[in-house]
Order: sequence, then C-alpha cells, then structure tokens
Amino acid sequence: MTMKDAMSGIPRIKINNHETFYYQYEFSLLDAMEAQRIAAPYSCRGGYCGCCKARLLDGEVEYVQDSLVDLADDEILTCCCIPKTHIEVELPQE
Amino acid sequence: MLYSTFSHSTHDATKEPMFFGRNVNVARYDRQRYPIFEKLIEKQLSFFWRPEEVDLSTDRKDFMAMPEHEQHIFLSNLKYQTLLDSVQGRSPNVAFLPVVSLPELETWFETWAFSETIHSRSYTHIIRNIITEPSEVFDEIVTNPEIIKRADAVTRLYDEFIELATVYMIHGAGEHTVDGRQLDVSMRNLKRKLYLTLVSVNVLEAIRFYVSFACSFAFAERAVMEGNAKIIKLIARDEALHLTGTQHMINILASGQDDPEFREIAKECEPEVYKLFEEAAQQEKDWADYLFSEGSMIGLNAKILGDYVEYITNVRMKALGLNEIFESRQNPLPWMNSWLVSDNVQVAPQEAEISSYLVGQIDNEVDEGDFDGFDL
Repeated sequence: MTMKDAMSGIPRIKINNHETFYYQYEFSLLDAMEAQRIAAPYSCRGGYCGCCKARLLDGEVEYVQDSLVDLADDEILTCCCIPKTHIEVELPQE
Repeated sequence: MLYSTFSHSTHDATKEPMFFGRNVNVARYDRQRYPIFEKLIEKQLSFFWRPEEVDLSTDRKDFMAMPEHEQHIFLSNLKYQTLLDSVQGRSPNVAFLPVVSLPELETWFETWAFSETIHSRSYTHIIRNIITEPSEVFDEIVTNPEIIKRADAVTRLYDEFIELATVYMIHGAGEHTVDGRQLDVSMRNLKRKLYLTLVSVNVLEAIRFYVSFACSFAFAERAVMEGNAKIIKLIARDEALHLTGTQHMINILASGQDDPEFREIAKECEPEVYKLFEEAAQQEKDWADYLFSEGSMIGLNAKILGDYVEYITNVRMKALGLNEIFESRQNPLPWMNSWLVSDNVQVAPQEAEISSYLVGQIDNEVDEGDFDGFDL
C-alpha cells in the first residue's frame, strides 16, 4: 500500500462480511461499528475482558485506551482503538 | 529455608522467570520484564471502591417482600460468592508470593488479593443490611453440602501446590517424605502444579462467579435488589480484570518465552486443563439446578443459566487458545453486557448512571416526615 492510499482524508473501515464505511470520529472502533448497526461483540468496553478482540488485516490503528489483554501481533481490541489509516478488520465468527 | 524476604543479591530481576527464580528483593518498577502487570495494578487501583458507599436500605424491603424460593436463590448465591472470595482474598498470596520472582508480578498478586478482601467485606455489608441475624447465612457456608462440594474443587489445586511449595521452601527440590507420605517435590512437578493451579484460579474467576452474577443482575433488571446489583457490578468489574491477569500468566508460560520448560508442561497438562474447565462448567450447571430447585425467577431458569455457563466457558477457553468444548452459540443473556460494561470511558459522569460517580450520592431512605413540606 502506498502512503497516499493509506492516508487520504477520513479513514475508511472495511469489516469482513459487513459493509465498508467511513470513520465518523466515534470514541472507538467498537462505537464506530455500532453506529453502523454492526453487531460487534463486546463486554467490558474497558480493555480488559477481551470480548471485542478482532483481527486487523490491513492498515493501522491508534490506541485511545490501554488494552490489558494478551493479543497476537495482528489482533486488536475494538473498544480500545480508532483507525489511523484505512483499515480492514475481521470480526470473529459467532 | 529457600525463601528470603530481602536478599542482598544484585541480580537483574528482568532476567528472572516469573516463578521459581530468585526471590524479589527491591520492589522496584522502573525496569519491568512484563509491564502488563503494572498496567493491571494501575487499572485495579483506579477501580477502588468501598461497599459502604452503596446504600442498601431499599434492598432490605425488597428482600422481605421476595417469595421464599427467590430468597433461597439470592442467599445461596451470596454464600457461594462469600466462599469464593474468602479463598481468593488469601490464596494468591499464600500460594504464589513465596515463589514469584518479578516485582511487578509480586505486587499484582497483592493488589489482586487485596481487592478480593473488599469483596468479602461487601458480602458482610449486604447480609447485615438485609438480614437480622447474619450468622445464619455465614454459618451455613461450611455446612451446606452443595457449597462444600464446589469448595473442594475450588481449593484442591491451591492446597496441593501450597503443600509442595512449602516442603520445597524448607527442604529444596527432590523426593521428600512428610508425615509418612512420599511427595514428589521435583522442580518439574512444582511447575506442573503451579500451572494447573493458575488454570484452576482462572476457572474460578472466569466461570464460577458468573452464575450468581447473572442472578443478581436478573433481580435488578426487575428493579429489585438494586443496591446489591450495584455492588455485584463493581465485583464483576474487578473479577474481569483478575481473569485477564491469570490469562496473561498462563499464556506467557505456555508460550515458553518465560521458561522453556513451561511450554512442555503446558502441552503435557492440556488434558487436565480441559478436565478442569469441564468439571467447573458441570458443577456450575448443577448449581443452577440447585438454585432453581424450589422454583424459578422471572427472566431466568436453570436451562438458560446452563446455556450461559456453556457460552462463557467457550469464551474463556478460546482466550487461552483452547478449543471450545460446547456447541458454539450466541450469548443467551445479552442483557448481561449492560451490567458488565466498564464505566470508565467516554461519557461525562453526569450524563449517565455511572457507579463510580453516583455511589454514596443517593440516600434511598424516604420517611413520612420528608413529605411535611408538601401541601395539597
């Protein structure tokens, strides 16, 4: 991905098996998904229960609160971060 | 004796393993091997609360008005939680402090166990407020067969590990005969027991608490026992943090990055780990049957609670990289989330019912005299 692709204006969020939408400056990625009526899993919203764990397939995120959960390199907690570039995220299958 | 409270060793603690390295001497946090434990400590401290901040006078009236079978559900859960927190208020310290080697992890154990003592004090606060004779409730904890059955499963590994670790402290690693019993106090066996104990603690905090959490929140969904639910919400928030702590320890050990031998041990123990989760899930489902043996409550029954136990067991097992043991399903109690959500984000306190903001601010006592100023 070129730098231009990565950062042109408002970050675009692609959620696998759901639609793609633009980030509207919600508090967290989780809130952004909920604003789009995507039933994303969550429980504590405080970065410690791990229920909102998802895979970041592409792009970068920025943390807005501490994530206290054990994460693999490509995993993020949607309640703790916001998109920094266009991103592609895979939610766990229910 | 292997333990020393303050050795003069000049070793670098960040080069030690989490357990069975050199004892911690200087409690310093400027250099850390696993900064995550300090983050947990900070989070736990930010969660600090006192049970007396929550007013329970309305709960007393609610409790009196409850049908007998609902009182049974309520009190039984309170007894069970009292047992669990009695164990957790001391056992992490007794079991793990003598063998821990990292200052940040040592302090996490102490911070963790301390928060459990707040939970224990809150059960006394609740029971004192809703019942005239608290002893009736407390005395039953060690005699009720349904509770004792689970108490043994909860504490078995703790006790086995504490025994081995104590003998190790005095006689060192090896085969030892104590009171005529041959004990395998090899380093390998100590590590095995430690690993399994951590798993059993994870099971305790990640699964065992949740049946009674669900009941407390279900009462409050009907607007009864709301003060109690406010306290349980704070307890649930702490427990969710604690279980993250044990998940970290277990995952770090199993990865082998801390001590390569633990990777083998984790593999070797896997069948036992599955058994611990299965046993706990089964016991909690049996407990749900016992709770509802005299009648169900609105919004909950043994079947739904059993499904919830299966759901939460799957979630916890996935967090440890294990396979699900029950059919995967959606959360059968989705309304639980609104009680498990942490209040520390986003909204300004005055915009929402935030427990940390509102506790102690409301006096639920309404007296006839309060209406004296009104004229109709």
